[in-house]
Amino acid sequence: MADRIFAAVLLAVTIGYAVIAFTVIKAPFQYDPLGPESWPQILSIVAMLCLLGVLWRPDVDHMDVPKAVWFRLGAAVVMLMAYSRLYEPLGFVVATALFGTAMALMLGAPRWRALAFGVGAGIAGWLLCVTLMDLNLPEGAVVEAVLESFQTEAN
Amino acid sequence: MDTVLSGLATGFAVAFDPFNLMLVLVGCFVGTLIGALPGLGPINGVAILLPIAYGLGFPPESALILLAGIYYGAEYGGRISSILLNVPGDAGAVMTTLDGNPMARAGQAGRALSLSAVASFIGGTFAVILMSLFAPGLAKFAVTFSPADYVALMVFAFASLASLVGKSTVKTLLGATIGLMLATIGIDANTGVNRYTFGIPDILAGIDFLIVVVGLFGMAELLTLVEHQARGTLKSLPVDKSFVQWADLKLAKWTILRSSIIGFFIGILPGTGASVASAVAYGTEKRISDKEGTFGTGDVRGLAAPEAANNAAAGGSMVPMLTLGIPGSGTTAILLGALLMFNIQPGPMMFTQRPEVAWGLVASMYIGNVALLVINLPLVGLFARMLTIPQHYLTPLIAILAFIGIYTIVGNPHDLYMITGLGLLGWFLRKLEFSLAPVILGFVLGSLFENNLRRALSISGGDWGILVADWKSLLLYGLALLVVVLPIWLARRSRKRSGGQEAMAD
Repeated sequence: MADRIFAAVLLAVTIGYAVIAFTVIKAPFQYDPLGPESWPQILSIVAMLCLLGVLWRPDVDHMDVPKAVWFRLGAAVVMLMAYSRLYEPLGFVVATALFGTAMALMLGAPRWRALAFGVGAGIAGWLLCVTLMDLNLPEGAVVEAVLESFQTEAN
Repeated sequence: MDTVLSGLATGFAVAFDPFNLMLVLVGCFVGTLIGALPGLGPINGVAILLPIAYGLGFPPESALILLAGIYYGAEYGGRISSILLNVPGDAGAVMTTLDGNPMARAGQAGRALSLSAVASFIGGTFAVILMSLFAPGLAKFAVTFSPADYVALMVFAFASLASLVGKSTVKTLLGATIGLMLATIGIDANTGVNRYTFGIPDILAGIDFLIVVVGLFGMAELLTLVEHQARGTLKSLPVDKSFVQWADLKLAKWTILRSSIIGFFIGILPGTGASVASAVAYGTEKRISDKEGTFGTGDVRGLAAPEAANNAAAGGSMVPMLTLGIPGSGTTAILLGALLMFNIQPGPMMFTQRPEVAWGLVASMYIGNVALLVINLPLVGLFARMLTIPQHYLTPLIAILAFIGIYTIVGNPHDLYMITGLGLLGWFLRKLEFSLAPVILGFVLGSLFENNLRRALSISGGDWGILVADWKSLLLYGLALLVVVLPIWLARRSRKRSGGQEAMAD
């Protein structure tokens, strides 16, 4: 069943792909016998045949994922999204500390160790990647502002 | 022969450069660590570390040497979790658990680990030697390939992929097609027409290869780890003082040799890597040498066979990548993508145009194999300790590494969402028993396939007959047919035979 649902969704996407290939894509002029639309057309037909094959004879019945696991996976995706969202505003160190701690906690790490892991990963990652290997990571607008206000206070 | 020797001289000059030498060692060490982590195989390791290696700004040969070191280091390290935990790091290490884990449980973990290290070393070295003998000749032959021959070669590659990889032929083919379809996104290079960009400027140049790789492999792996979290903790067996004996090696020497040959040639087949090689080698050995029925209970030959084969296959799968530009496995598909990022077109011309890259890589594999043996024999205890790293720290670490890699290369937070989304797609695909290697192979080969097809038809003025006009193309189509039909025929035959035996028993 899971197979069929997935294949049906993919089939819908592929039909969209095919419609675009057969109607929208056109070169204004071309010298070659095969234009930009031919290859996608071929692919869409092959993909549809394969999908029909899967729909005809699916071999995975259940996803075999309990509810609790779905919940945990959903939480993981949400955390990843939040991490992506906060990466630039908060900067690498803070965002990583938050994400590392939250993820480790969710996966069952002891509380203080998870915190130590998150903060450690943030700081060690920064030192290793930016200071040692000279890679480009976001410092974070918020962090920058805080640092600046400290500096002006010191002055 | 002359070209081989002078090529090797060039290669060793590159590989013995102190900086590159250090990278070989670092790559092997890190690779073994990654391979030893339960659940993380070579392909995920290379995928996660590729953007970081690229971001360091090394010259192409150095970056490639580092990545290749990680690749075969991880093939090496995979045996540690197979033997001590009974958890294979990836599909290529599954066969190692069959005899390796029983040996460890019988209190001979040290012997199993050292024996498999030696077998891996012999398999790997054997493959590199064959590779340096064969590759230049194959490259010279491949220069004569016309676009139509390349189309035939691709058909052969996808045929062997579909018939040998994964559980279901249709799903493997579908996976490859999904990869090919993803590759059509972006501006068409021949006519400048936008395809499937929907006006989004970020994907005008196509979806970035790194994003696809990190998403489909790194992030999907992370979600799989999250999924399996609650299902009990893993118990590692202790590493003891037992060590490989001469008698073991003597017993297993023909096994190792046969498996190395099998591994190398299966590795060469496009699309089929270590997993098929180790399974075939184990099966063959079981048939040839298992007279007393000891395979599966801790037989040294049963351990040596898959280990020699999967390391030989890792070397073998480099051959088509370097000479034809067609990767021999999922992991080499990633390495091929890495070459493309450095604006090096892998293929027959690489040995003549960029000898420092091609031969440097080959030479580094000689050094890497020796280094791995030296690192692995005394330090195996240290690697074994990696097994006890709790998964709840490992999992977030993968995300952190993936984010660092993608951000440093692309510098666009939009892509961080993309890898999460692709990771979700990859997780679903894996869950539904699609294998992901065909997807990445399709993605990497997409433009090559399309361009050669279009070029061939331009040459013939639109006559499709050109695709079958040449004996080389015909030979490749024949091989493609063979690779599809042969396994089906063999399965039929063995089923008929076992059916016959049952009938006799009745």
